[in-house]
Amino acid sequence: MAKKKIVVNYRFRDKLNKVQGGKHHNYCYQCSACVAVCPAARFTKEFNPRIILLKALLGMEEELTGNDSPIWLCTNCYSCYERCPQDVRPIEVIIALKNMAVEKETAPANLAKLSENIAHTGVSVTITSAVSRRRQELGLPEFKTPPIEELKDILRGQKEPPKDGN
Amino acid sequence: MKVIPFWGCMMPLKYPQMELAIRKTMPKLGVELVDIDGFTCCPDPIYFKARDKIKWLTIAARNLAVAEETGLDIVTMCSGCISTLREAQYTLDEDPALKAEINKRLKKVNKEYKGKVKVNHAVVLIRDDLGLDVVRNSVKRSLEDINVAIHYGCHILKPSQIMHVDDADYPSILDDFITAMGAIPIEHKEKLLCCGKGCMDEDLPLDMTESIFASIEASGADCMGLVCPTCFSSFDLGQIMISRKKGKTYDIPVIYLFQLLGLAQGLKPEEVGLHTHRVKADKIIEKIKEIVKT
Repeated sequence: MAKKKIVVNYRFRDKLNKVQGGKHHNYCYQCSACVAVCPAARFTKEFNPRIILLKALLGMEEELTGNDSPIWLCTNCYSCYERCPQDVRPIEVIIALKNMAVEKETAPANLAKLSENIAHTGVSVTITSAVSRRRQELGLPEFKTPPIEELKDILRGQKEPPKDGN
Repeated sequence: MKVIPFWGCMMPLKYPQMELAIRKTMPKLGVELVDIDGFTCCPDPIYFKARDKIKWLTIAARNLAVAEETGLDIVTMCSGCISTLREAQYTLDEDPALKAEINKRLKKVNKEYKGKVKVNHAVVLIRDDLGLDVVRNSVKRSLEDINVAIHYGCHILKPSQIMHVDDADYPSILDDFITAMGAIPIEHKEKLLCCGKGCMDEDLPLDMTESIFASIEASGADCMGLVCPTCFSSFDLGQIMISRKKGKTYDIPVIYLFQLLGLAQGLKPEEVGLHTHRVKADKIIEKIKEIVKT
């Protein structure tokens, strides 16, 4: 049987190298220590951090940052970071891949919903009248409104992650 | 000891009973909480970081810079906040070019992150800076007979090279904290399992929390004890969800450890906001009343 030729997409790896946290994917030697401690891998076969790293090493862009990428199943527990003998920090590589997916607009729709409050109100949780009442009932001081204009100033014109590796 | 409380968003805006418990218990340990203006969300280490890590670092660095101006240290009560603030510090220390880039952003609002502020978690502050004797000395009614299944949660421990809180495989900080209140930590097999909240899937988080509930139920503990508001949501509201979706009802009260400390310090259950929880804590409240009688 003819061996299938493996083509590594270095363009994608270069791109990943330039996203904060992405560079460490180069250190992975596929030992699977991350899989042994990964709770998502324990509960579903669809998520395997070693395979995600392997795909990163091969530069499989679509599988990692396309619409059906398994990266969103990561539970963000940092067990892989704790365990990795190569300092790959798999979760940070996965987060770099997520940042790239956001750029490509392939991230799950609810990610925007879950993270959009901060830029508008300075807090991630929606401030409701119910919680203001609850704070009053409990005798807590009024919640200090975050300095939203200042936040907007530091985020304005923020350099977005690079669009290609060049 | 004076410290700046970094409340974050989950505690003041979703679970204010936790803020209440901190405000009531910390002064009894000799900690003065100095509230300051100017903080925003830490920002959250899961969704916002997934969206744009550079913006995440910028906002975190701004919060650190705000605290730095005061010369006091930050104390967080939320595992998410400490995770974000400490990881931001670690990342910016590790990468001076990135730190300079972020500081360029902050300069627009006349701020600079220098890297001097110390970020602590309340339980770490108590263990390392005050000593657990301050907890023991503040106890009015020892919680003997209260069996607590600790859930550590991930972000306060891992990665340990950033967090420096405890051994991530054999942590004892929370066990020791409740032991100082007189309560009994109960071992259970899923003590270190992630609550699953950060996973963007419908079923997986429920499977994980259910595994933890089953483990706690089998342990015979009276309640679950934790320090993370995100985990709290997985377990308190989570029990209602499991009951609806899987038809299995657990009845495990979920207690924030500073609420438990409040009870040990003689506060009434409503004074630490236990009445606001979905899963009622009546079982352990009755038990505490019995302890007081005898």
